[in-house]
Amino acid sequence: MSRDGWRKKASEDDGWGGRGGYMAAKISKLEEQFQKDAPREKQKDGTSSCIFSGVAIYVNGYTDPCADELRRLMMLHGGQFHLYYTRSKTTHIIASNLPNSKIKELKGEKVVRPEWITDSIKAGRLLSYVQYQLYAKQKGLNFTSVCAQGKQDLSSRHEPSKPSPSHPQSHSIKPQPNNTQTLSKEVLKSTHTNHTATNFTERTNHQLDVRLNGSCSIISEDDAERPRVNGIHDGDDVVDDDDDACALLPRGSQDTLLTNGYVHPVNGALKPQDSFAEHPPHVVDTGSHQSHLPQAESRDGEEPSCSYAGSKTNSHQRSLISTVSPAKQTGLYNMQKDLHPKPTSNPGTSAAPQKGNLHSQTRVRLNGSYHLSPNSSTLADSNNQPGRSGQGAEAGIISEFFSHSRLHHISTWRNEFSEYVNTLQSRRHAAGGTVFSGKEKLKKLKANCSSGSLMAAPQVRQSCILHVDMDCFFVSVGIRHRPDLIGKPVAVTSNRGPGRVAHRPGANPQLEFQYYQRKQKQYRKEKTDGDLEMTPSPHGDEVPSNGVDLDLAALSMAEIASCSYEARQAGVRNGMFFGRAKQLCPDLQSVPYDFQAYKEVALSMYETLASYTHNIEALSCDEALVDATNLLVELGVTPDDLARAIREDIKQKTGCSASVGMGSNILLARMATRKAKPNGQYFLRSEEVDDFIRDQPVSSLPGVGRSMSSKLTSLDVSTCGDLQQLSICRLQREFGPRTGQTLFRFCRGLDDRPVRSEKERKSVSAEMNYNIRFTQVEEAESFLSNLSMEVQKRLEGAGLRGRRITLKVMMRKAGAPVEPAKYGGHGICDNFARSVLLAQPTDSGQLIAAEAIKLFHAMKLDVKDMRGVGLQVQQLEGSHAGPSGQGPSRGRSIKDLLLAKQPAHSPKKDPLPQDGLPSPSSSSAFSSNQERVTPPSSPLPSTSSDPMPGTSKGGPYHPHTPNHVRTCLNVSIEVPSPSQVDQSVLEALPVDIRKQVEQTWRQREELPSTSSHLSTPPRTSSSPPPGPSLVLQLPNQPGQPCTTGIILELPDFSQVDPDVFAALPRELQEELCSAYRNKGNAQVHAQAQCSAVEQKKTFPQLKQPAVGKLKRRYKKKNTSPAKKGPSPQKKLFPGNSPAKSSPSKTLPLPLKQPGLKTENVQCPSTDVPETLSKFNPRPVPTLAGAYEFSDIRTLLREWVTTISEPMEEDILQVVKYCTELVEDKDLEKLYLVIKYMKRLMQQSSESVWSMAFDFILDNVQVVVQQTYGSTLKIS
Amino acid sequence: MATLTRQDLNFGQVVADILCEFLEVAIHLILYVREIYPSGIFQKRKKYNVPVQMSCHPDLNQYIQDTLHCVKPLIEKNEAEKVVVVIMDKEHHPVERFVFEISQPPLLSISSETLLSHVEQLLRAMILKISVCDAVLDNNPPGCTFTVLVHTREAATRNMEKVQVIKDFPWIVADEQEVHMEEAKLIPLKTMTSDILKMQLYVEEKTQKT
Repeated sequence: MSRDGWRKKASEDDGWGGRGGYMAAKISKLEEQFQKDAPREKQKDGTSSCIFSGVAIYVNGYTDPCADELRRLMMLHGGQFHLYYTRSKTTHIIASNLPNSKIKELKGEKVVRPEWITDSIKAGRLLSYVQYQLYAKQKGLNFTSVCAQGKQDLSSRHEPSKPSPSHPQSHSIKPQPNNTQTLSKEVLKSTHTNHTATNFTERTNHQLDVRLNGSCSIISEDDAERPRVNGIHDGDDVVDDDDDACALLPRGSQDTLLTNGYVHPVNGALKPQDSFAEHPPHVVDTGSHQSHLPQAESRDGEEPSCSYAGSKTNSHQRSLISTVSPAKQTGLYNMQKDLHPKPTSNPGTSAAPQKGNLHSQTRVRLNGSYHLSPNSSTLADSNNQPGRSGQGAEAGIISEFFSHSRLHHISTWRNEFSEYVNTLQSRRHAAGGTVFSGKEKLKKLKANCSSGSLMAAPQVRQSCILHVDMDCFFVSVGIRHRPDLIGKPVAVTSNRGPGRVAHRPGANPQLEFQYYQRKQKQYRKEKTDGDLEMTPSPHGDEVPSNGVDLDLAALSMAEIASCSYEARQAGVRNGMFFGRAKQLCPDLQSVPYDFQAYKEVALSMYETLASYTHNIEALSCDEALVDATNLLVELGVTPDDLARAIREDIKQKTGCSASVGMGSNILLARMATRKAKPNGQYFLRSEEVDDFIRDQPVSSLPGVGRSMSSKLTSLDVSTCGDLQQLSICRLQREFGPRTGQTLFRFCRGLDDRPVRSEKERKSVSAEMNYNIRFTQVEEAESFLSNLSMEVQKRLEGAGLRGRRITLKVMMRKAGAPVEPAKYGGHGICDNFARSVLLAQPTDSGQLIAAEAIKLFHAMKLDVKDMRGVGLQVQQLEGSHAGPSGQGPSRGRSIKDLLLAKQPAHSPKKDPLPQDGLPSPSSSSAFSSNQERVTPPSSPLPSTSSDPMPGTSKGGPYHPHTPNHVRTCLNVSIEVPSPSQVDQSVLEALPVDIRKQVEQTWRQREELPSTSSHLSTPPRTSSSPPPGPSLVLQLPNQPGQPCTTGIILELPDFSQVDPDVFAALPRELQEELCSAYRNKGNAQVHAQAQCSAVEQKKTFPQLKQPAVGKLKRRYKKKNTSPAKKGPSPQKKLFPGNSPAKSSPSKTLPLPLKQPGLKTENVQCPSTDVPETLSKFNPRPVPTLAGAYEFSDIRTLLREWVTTISEPMEEDILQVVKYCTELVEDKDLEKLYLVIKYMKRLMQQSSESVWSMAFDFILDNVQVVVQQTYGSTLKIS
Repeated sequence: MATLTRQDLNFGQVVADILCEFLEVAIHLILYVREIYPSGIFQKRKKYNVPVQMSCHPDLNQYIQDTLHCVKPLIEKNEAEKVVVVIMDKEHHPVERFVFEISQPPLLSISSETLLSHVEQLLRAMILKISVCDAVLDNNPPGCTFTVLVHTREAATRNMEKVQVIKDFPWIVADEQEVHMEEAKLIPLKTMTSDILKMQLYVEEKTQKT
């Protein structure tokens, strides 16, 4: 109430137009007063300057010196003093003490200690406020001490390259900046000073020179310079804008500033003089101009690389320019001299062109183009351009980045190889057996040598894991064809020079190194504080080894990706900077990256492994785990033999050596590899394990990284033996229950992780922390959009959609250098992350972008300080088929890999039927398909009764299938039996390929008994000829000869071995039965085109299975409802089926569209609005295209009343629909549907129906339970 | 036809206003239907063109109003996932939970013409459903009380702790005991889908209420 009253009063017209009016008037009066007082004060005091020109302070609370004194100082030195704080005008807040609440309130403002003012006056120039900040903007370390240290180091080292403070000539030219036309009146007014003052400041400057110069390369100093420089150039009123402009271009402006920084001492010293436009002693002579400017240029030339720091996209070209720029700059200077040939004795006028010179130089350096604009007032503008044009926000840069990023390449390979292994495996599953060439060879070898040279293998069946790891992969690949380098220290790195690069101004490697060093120290200190145990840090020595060396400024920062063992002996390590490595090992040869070769070698390594077994887990491009347990038993060889064979094979095929570690589990195998390296093998026998592991350092255990091992060190644990002494309780207390247990097991050599050839992806992300420099929010936004598109691409590639979107941002740490030591790198950063959970999974880049931008805004970050952006999508589930983003592209990567190998695909070349290893096309398409639908390990029921017909919808030509065809390796290819092939995939194949596949089948069927083991239908792994049921569902392809062909070619029933038949899974038996029945039923062929009629035929046939059988099947389904029920594919059916010609093998007609039955339409579901799924991010759940409850009800009634026994597919459709309803949060409809079905089905005379209902209900309840934690109440 | 998007200034407020108004009516009605308070304190009113019951106990009304007042900012920001009216027995074990699951479409725009009448129809349907829900629910044990829980999305809770919409009416994190109900049965009551709002109401009922 009271607030309202107050507001009312305030809004009344009190003559001041409310508070705003009054305050505005008061503030402006105060300002006037201040301006009026300033000259008087200056006269009185005698000393004056315009150090603080452009600075407007507001004193908050108690300070020393007091506010009045500060006000006076500001008057004297050209600053502004605000009695009232205004966010827009006040540039700095002076305070020595602020309560927390105020700090929060002033977030983002520069709150500075008063010493800043006094020190700046003492220094005669505006010091960086950063060191005087009352608190750091972002929580974190304060850099003060580091800075100070850095300064000293720098000042001693950089001495030669900076302008000598005692250079008389340079002194005399400096005044220019202040004499520009745009100089504001106040500044001009404040030009009364006497000589002594000048001398005084000059003196102080000399004293301070060393320090000041030293700090030039510390960015924070330069930061502070911005306001000053700009203030001088453009007058007070534009200060804010300029400040912004500068701030927007951290890199670009930095350059400018740096120039100023370098000439600083002089500048500072003469500042007071500058203001004396007519002061006699400061007549500037042209000679000194000339002498200085080249000097300045040469200085510039010393840091060519930095001049292009602002450029992003084409940094390469630019840096080329930069190396020649000093010369050009000189030329430029001369040109400018021509433009202003006669510097008069009046410094005021002569200085202006000079200033122009300086600035045009700056500009040249900034954007690499050669604008000549002698007028300094355009500086800000011209500055802006390079900054903007150089941004990474440009479209396409992201994909370009990723397509060029080496790390990205390599890191994706792992996935690719995992895929590859998956493909191999599923293919094998599909076809029941593969010829493992390597295995065969080994077998032969064994047979040959069985005379006794090979030891009889231990016949004990003990698990054996092989860890195959290439020896310094990148190097050995790199020198494969360069025998001259063998045996020499070699490193793979991008740097090919002598290991030295020029120093870039703006970068401050020292500061960064010291930061990390300090962090290390602090870390150590913390630790010792915590434990009171003075244990030497295990990693203390790593810091220097990483090359924290004051010399490093000039050393190459290119990292070494891999180095040879010879180089390692010299102390070179992977990840070390090349410059440093070169110091350690002067002979070090560098080898460039060769990604094509890596790919080739990695691929042939995997091929080699795959020729032995398919139980491979891809760890990376050069590392894999092989579960050789079965293989060894089968071959009867020792692990050592196998390892030897594999290594020889790899060596022979790739020319690179590999090491193999063997152990009874993954952990031991990996540890053994360490011992095996280089180019060796080691079998860690189970009896040796205890002794072996006792001496292993804890850090060799997986999951024990830096922090954990130091924690362990604090527990006095350094080896696994020590770790064994700790009880599991202790470990769990220290590290948490899971980690504790893992450690407990690992240190005893226990590891039950299986070799997993398929790993589920947890997240899909795209991240970029190189070259991120934004100046504007819009750029960041468009960058996010682009990044989202990249994520979308990847999601589509993986056939996944995710619900959780996480935005990760790296922000420059407060006080960290604006320009990191590594070119384009991110430097020292704080990491922030935020995430949002979407209502439904998505793979739409737009949606992701919208969310990401929202998150981004919520974080309220300064775009200028952004150094890295990442988007991650988690909580993944399989994607439903988008028109383009269909699953097969998940295999795309392998395809790419293999494309290089098998350049072109022609169907004729397909290895074919005769050998029984037929067309790859269907198998690969199938396998990739299957991958998404179900784990390949359980191909049987899921594929044969796959209720998700839409897996590969699309045009008649599956956009990806041709690629798939190409993905086939020449090793072991087979066509899966018809029942295993998703019909829709088959359909989507190009006609010729499809024919081939079908031909293969036909051939297979034709010789059922002759080629007994390959093509007799009743094989256990690949299922027999349910072909008819398959093909009959091709109502849309009446022209296909194959539709009936397969049926006719079913082997005669008499030829089917009854025993084998009995051994088949129930489903297959049914399938077979119905197939044979179909075969008998001649009219079916005639009606093949009319699904309606056909359907009627199929239903009665399904009556045959006994009730008990059905029941069992349902039970089985029940055990894995989670997998089945909410399977991602379910979304396929409703929205997508229209695009697809034949949704499912056994088309449940009644479910399709009730009306169609009589209408006999070709494509039953075409009338479902396709747009539904396209425009609505979440398609409305539909059952066979119907989504209105009344339609559903009709459909259900139709189904239950017309059919005496439900088909499993239909039931699954209904379950799927119900699950969708749950996910769509439409419980009401679900409830109605369930209740309706209950009524219908339980009333039905057939008991199967009520069982069907139970099955549906059970499944739905599980889903509901998962989603809501409780089950539906069905009375 | 004017289309508004979520970004439009008052969009969130419109939704929040509509929803809070509805929730107020719904809560009163639930209290009446589930007989948490003696029917004597309720009066018949008309809302959404259907008769509803509203308590005339000032304290109770104030409590409901305050609660919803605090929920409103959350709904505005689309941070409230569920608003739950929990009915608890004497031992403060929940026996019934009326869950209003709210989701607002992220990107859809709305057309203003049919909107309000359409939404009103949907809300009316929901109210009617509440008023007959006793048919599907078991009777509650005597001496029940109620409380209102809000399930927030993300870190909205933190903001709620920071900003008290109404002074001295803070939110607290609900006891596990209040949230969790064993062997609950779920009875969906009504789902509504409109351009601005998707909401479903279901009841979780304890199997054994005594």
